[in-house]
This record gives sequence, C-alpha cells and structure tokens, in this order.
Amino acid sequence: MPDLPKKKIGIVSCSGEELPEGTVTRLAALKVLEQLRPADTVTICLPLFLAGGEGDRAFAKFYPTIAVDGCELRCAARATGMYSSKPAASLVVRDIVIETGLEKPEGRRHLNPAGRQAVEATAARMVALVDGLLGKQWDRRAGEFVQEPPNPEPQGLGEATCSCGLGTPIQKVQIEGQEVTLVALPLIFQQFRQAGKQPSESIARELLDTVKIYNSVPEGMDIQYRAVLLREYSAFCEKEPAQ
Amino acid sequence: MSVQRKVVIVPCSGIGKTYGTVSREAAYEIVEDLRPKDAQLVALSMLVLGDESTRAAVAGNQAITIDGCKLACASKMVKENGGRVAQEIAVLDVYRRYKQFKPNGIAELNEGGLHLAHALAEEVAISIDNLRSKNKEGQNA
Amino acid sequence: MAEFLETTIDKFIFKVATDRSYSSEGLWVKAEGDRLRVGLSDFLQQRSGDVAFAEVKPEGTLLKMGDEIASIESIKVNISLTSPVSGTIVKVNPAMTTTPESINQDPYGEGWLVILEDGNVTKAALLDPQAYLALMKGQAEQEAKNQ
Repeated sequence: MPDLPKKKIGIVSCSGEELPEGTVTRLAALKVLEQLRPADTVTICLPLFLAGGEGDRAFAKFYPTIAVDGCELRCAARATGMYSSKPAASLVVRDIVIETGLEKPEGRRHLNPAGRQAVEATAARMVALVDGLLGKQWDRRAGEFVQEPPNPEPQGLGEATCSCGLGTPIQKVQIEGQEVTLVALPLIFQQFRQAGKQPSESIARELLDTVKIYNSVPEGMDIQYRAVLLREYSAFCEKEPAQ
Repeated sequence: MSVQRKVVIVPCSGIGKTYGTVSREAAYEIVEDLRPKDAQLVALSMLVLGDESTRAAVAGNQAITIDGCKLACASKMVKENGGRVAQEIAVLDVYRRYKQFKPNGIAELNEGGLHLAHALAEEVAISIDNLRSKNKEGQNA
Repeated sequence: MAEFLETTIDKFIFKVATDRSYSSEGLWVKAEGDRLRVGLSDFLQQRSGDVAFAEVKPEGTLLKMGDEIASIESIKVNISLTSPVSGTIVKVNPAMTTTPESINQDPYGEGWLVILEDGNVTKAALLDPQAYLALMKGQAEQEAKNQ
C-alpha cells in the first residue's frame, strides 16, 4: 500500500536581531520545535529560505506553516507568502504582548523576565495553532488528545514526480471550470483502492477529508470538490484493477 | 572634517544549527560591547524584504557578514541586495581555529559556544579597526 | 555527470547517485578504470552535519574491507568511517585538509575521500543505488520519527 507523508507544521520565525521581540520569536519557535511538539513540527530557517533553500521552500509550499514575527513588519510571514505559500497562521509578538497584558520585553540579547513571559505566551499560542492545524482535540477529562489525525507511519515519498522537487505526486483536476492542482491525490487514490474502497458518496466525503490534509479547499466548495473527487476516483478505479 | 561611517554587521542567525546562534551572539558582542561606535547591526530579512532604512545602511557602508555554515546565506543575500561585503566570516572556519570551543545549543549556547562567539567577535573587531584605518587613509589622501 | 534518485523526508531532500555502489554505512564506491573512488553519500553527509575536520588515512595505506578509512568530526558527531572495499590508497583528496566542507557541498563530486588501487570489491557487501535508496529511506524515516 502506498504511504502518505505525515503531516507536519513548518515554523518560520523572524529571529530579528534588532528588537527583543525578534529574540522572543526565536526562543518561542525553538521551544515548540525542541520541547513541546518536536514530532509535529519542522523548522524553516528564514535566512536559508530567503537565500533560495530548495527543501525549505518546497516544504512551505505544500505543508501548513506558522509564521512568528516580532513586529508589524512581518518579515517571516511576508517571506513565506512571497516564496512559497501564504502561512496557515501568522503571529506577531507585539500583538500577543498587548493581548495578554504583559510588560514590554526588553533585552534583545538576554531577555528580561517580561521577555521570557512573552516567550511562554507565544509558544503556547503556537502549540494551539499546531494542534488545531493537525486536527487534534484535547479531552480535559481523559487528559489526552481524542481525535488523532489520519496519521500513517512516516514514510518516504519515492522518486520525485512533480516539478516542485518535493517528490509528492500531484494531479490536476477541473473544478467549476478552473484547473486545480491537488497534492498527493494519486497516492490517496491508490491507498483507497488498495483498501478496497468502492466509489460512493461516503467514500467521497472520506476522500475530501484526506485531500484536505495536504491541500487547502476554499470555504464553501466542499460539495464541488466532493463531486469532482468522486468522478476522478471512479475513473481511477476503472483503470486500476482491485487488489 | 572627515565622516567615519559605521561598518554594518549582518549575522545569519540561522535557527537550524548552533552555528547560527554563535553568529548572532558574536554580532551582539561586536555592536554592544567591542565596537559600539564603529559598527551597527542589520537584520538580514529586513534587508531582503526591502526595508528602506536597512537598505540605505547597507548601501552606504561596508558590511561584514557572519554565516553559520557554508551555505553563506547572509553573504549571498547582502551581495544580491546592493551591499559591499568587506569580509565574509564563516563560523565553521573560526571553529577550526578554536577547536577547544565546541559549541552546542541553539536556544542557549553552551560555554564552548559563548567562548567561540567571543573569539569570533574579537577577530571581527580587529577587522573593523583595519577597515576604518583604510577608510581614514583614503579620506586623508 | 551522475544522475540521481531522490527522496524527501519533511524538508530534507536526499539524493543517491546512480553511477556507483554503496555500503550500508553510507559510503559510495565508484569504479574508474582499474581504480576505485570512495566518498560519503548525501544522506550520510546531511546526517553528520557540517564537517569541521576530516582525517583520512594517508597515501600508501593498505586497507582491508572494514578497516577505518577516515574519521570526520562535525558539531554533531565524531564518526569513524570503515572502508567498503579493500585496496591501497593512492590518492587522498587534498580538499579534506583545506576545505572538508566539500563533503557537505558536493558529496558525489568534489567531496570524495580517497582513490584506491588494486581494489577488491566484494559485490555482496555493496548495494546498488535502488537498494541503498530503500535502506536510506528507512533510516531517514526512523530518525525523523525519533526527533
């Protein structure tokens, strides 16, 4: 059975040196990457990203990212949008400090206590976003996550077949007269086929849920996407023998 | 009256490796402790994304870039954005000269990393002095 | 010029040159006439990190398969590399002294380690590119999982 890549969230922090808030973004990002959600997140190195880092840009193009900026210049968010895809979420430390009523961070080289509190607050926001993007829900009674995302064992992707260099197969479909590129669709179809799933309305819903892990579906377009996925999957099943 | 310009220090501040933090810490030591009157710090992303005052600072002054690894992102991007790079420092090269200072940690440098950053900062401080001497000679000529 | 097989784990792209064989440790061997050139695979160099120092056995060293051929030191690791073949070292890459980071920048080209003569390749001990790709993918996925 073909394996789908594990969904991870890319973290892009501005790490701006000139302001304490830049240092807050750096430390908050590292806290999430190293301690809080190490299995679910990947660091995107902003300087490498700006300089043309192939792997970082490709990752940010097809996986959700969270941009964390120190100030309203939003260098991380803008760079991500410019060179890959718009971040799934964008945080600004200055806004978090105001919203949480913290004192202004000081000390760009060595953060003061207010700065360290800002790190904690920012990291907490990031974790909530990571969990939300991964579709996890917290059961307070049980003290654990209740809805694990469809999360196959992390596997490699095989030879590159798309021009992005990421190695994930893509398929183009027509939805309401527009050509739409859907990442991982061939693999999704193969996986469903090998699981013996016959084309049906309920399978179409399942297909859409899986497609949404790797692609953003515009709001209000679920019905149209489901119809197209059902049509494409039916055509796929006609061509591919059942296993 | 001669006007001495400040040398622009551009660290990569890469977040993926300890070397990136060494570059950042060294840059801070240069502009805050060792040569506060002669050097200024510039954030790489602000330069690349077109912040006007950052671009003006880089266009008008010589730059010393400090890169964490041989991908040399800071050096590359400063050159591509109109900067004159007087010296390119690679933390890895400095580590080879100070093998006893093995850095570790990204969020917080270990003692080896702090010593390495300090050694690097001292070397850059001397480079800044040399650059400013040359500039002064050029102006007096 | 070599062609490559490629795989991606998270944001990391790993390449396997198709014109050479591989040890399970991640060293490649390329036949060049009656000589053998040896170096590190892309996966091994990425996993090791930026190479600060590379100490390679000197020219004239007679190696048996499994003998130490070089040791590399990066910020992350100090690793001893074992020779995937036997033979006599006739040339050591001079870049290993001056710019060992060429292992990272061009592992299948400028970053070679040594050239051997009178080489004896035990084919059963080496993997073809496809087999190495499969092995390497498993290792990379396991490392991504363990993070």
